[in-house]
Amino acid sequence: MAVTALLVGLVVTAALVLTSLAVYNRNERRLLKLRVRELSLVLAATVPSIQTPLASAAELADATGGSAQKFRAFMAPYVGAGRQFSSVSLWPLGTSHLKPSAVLGGTPALESMPNRAKQFFTHSTRSGVLNLTSFLNSPHPALGFDFSAPGRAHGFAVYAENPLPANRRSKLEKNSAFSDLNYALYLGHSRRSGDILVTSVKDLPIKGRQASDVVPFGAGVFTVVVSPNGSLGGTFFKDLPWIIALAGLLVTLAVAWMTDRLAHDRQRAEDLAGILDRVAAENRDMYTEQRGISQTLQHALLPDTLPSVDGLEVNARYIPAASGVDIGGDWYDILDAGEGRVLLLVGDVSGHGLSAATTMASLRHAALAYAALGSRPARVLATLSDFVNSKPHTYMATVLCALINVDAHQMTVASAGHLPPLLIDGEGGQFVELDVGPAVGVSNDARYQERTVSVAPNATLIAFTDGLVERRGEVLDIGLARLRDAAIGPRLSLEDLVSKLARELTSEDHQDDTAILGVQWLS
Amino acid sequence: MAELESDPAAEFVIYTHLDPTGDPIITLSGELDIAGAGSLEKAVAAITAEGPVRLIFDLSELRFMDSAGIAVLVSATKNVDAVTLRNPTVVVRRVLELTGLSEVLPIEP
Repeated sequence: MAVTALLVGLVVTAALVLTSLAVYNRNERRLLKLRVRELSLVLAATVPSIQTPLASAAELADATGGSAQKFRAFMAPYVGAGRQFSSVSLWPLGTSHLKPSAVLGGTPALESMPNRAKQFFTHSTRSGVLNLTSFLNSPHPALGFDFSAPGRAHGFAVYAENPLPANRRSKLEKNSAFSDLNYALYLGHSRRSGDILVTSVKDLPIKGRQASDVVPFGAGVFTVVVSPNGSLGGTFFKDLPWIIALAGLLVTLAVAWMTDRLAHDRQRAEDLAGILDRVAAENRDMYTEQRGISQTLQHALLPDTLPSVDGLEVNARYIPAASGVDIGGDWYDILDAGEGRVLLLVGDVSGHGLSAATTMASLRHAALAYAALGSRPARVLATLSDFVNSKPHTYMATVLCALINVDAHQMTVASAGHLPPLLIDGEGGQFVELDVGPAVGVSNDARYQERTVSVAPNATLIAFTDGLVERRGEVLDIGLARLRDAAIGPRLSLEDLVSKLARELTSEDHQDDTAILGVQWLS
Repeated sequence: MAELESDPAAEFVIYTHLDPTGDPIITLSGELDIAGAGSLEKAVAAITAEGPVRLIFDLSELRFMDSAGIAVLVSATKNVDAVTLRNPTVVVRRVLELTGLSEVLPIEP
């Protein structure tokens, strides 16, 4: 991600830099063309300042028949150091031996070269225009200007010379309008170094960005080449691409850094989420496993198989609480008491957890022991209560104890704070009326009352713990009525009935464990 | 001596104070089950440690009580001579009747 952001940022920056460079370059080229044109116009504008004195002098010479005195008097103000020309001479034309008749200032270079002078005046010059000649290879390089009045075959030519700087270098004044340009001025259309008149640069030809123009100058031409000495559009526009490059680079780096940070954070969050998921999964597994262990233990504490009794069908079910890993304290037992009798026990130790379960185990075995001694239900409960109260304890337990005489269709029931069992026969269902005594472990010397009831043929007895009927915000009688309504109706096998009650009366989120014990007379 | 303990998960609240005659009263509200039994046990132990002759449980605000809660009420009778339950709701009253505790834990009025 960060690399992508970096690459995109660099590409965008590069594109911006290239665009601004292109714009800058196009602008500079355009400005340079304008500047060279301006320079060319300025140069061309100097022609009259040279031509006019020379033309006037030529006219004067023609009019005075070549008076040297008049010529000197007229030209004197134009000649000398700091003035227009360094040397001016008057040349009578039409003679075989050409030489000046009057000279002001230094001796013209042309005078020492008679053949060159003859060639120049007879063939190269035209009357009525400013003619140019040059002495570029001489030790004293100079530029010569000639003017002869038009229309007179054997008139006079006025010739002026100006020296060129020895190394041809001449910088423009700093306050000049063209101080931002480097320039080179060539004679004619040439750009050879041999034709250089004057330049501002050390090494010719001018390199880099440049523009040129041809300047008409009298009968000849100059070629001017310029290059910018710096930036024509101003330093800001010159620096703009670099400013963009730097800013773009900084922004790119910042974005890449932030992207990296965000990617990092996201990765960390994902890692963390992964760890949390794993921990949650482990917790879930551990919880499931522990719950499995609890239920296995609970089942281990309950009877594996119920005794088979002639004339009676027996079925039991233990339903652990829907959530939590606590072991409950519910239990049930059926004991063959001999002589066609069966002792039935259902109990519920208060609380949950291992202590409730071990208490339950201890009570269960104590109850079995008392029952095995042939004790009747009330006696079993009283003995159990004394057993519990014989040592310090913080729990109590509700216990239901019933002694069933199968063939006699009778049962004797006692309750230590336990809910009454439901008796179902052809008439419907009703809870067995009991004289309920206190739960075991509550009061010392607790004594219990028995009730003996007759049972109709093929009746069914359902004993249970409170988890089957107890609901929050509801009077217990409503839960009991719900149980009775669910238990009556079309006759079911005992196993199906117990399954149905377990299924319909324990909600999916029931918080208490539940035991159901059912017996059914087969006749 | 007023103190307030709460167990928001079970919406079970214990409030202990003294009635005008100086007997300690433990007012219970919400639902009392295994989740709240532990804190109730501590509250009862703190009061019985001072050796009161009477202890009153005000159950007028208690909407539900299971065997774990009953066990705590019953255990209080081991340390205090007279434990009384005051104004239990119908739901709680029926639980007390069906578990045969009316004699051990007298209800008033």
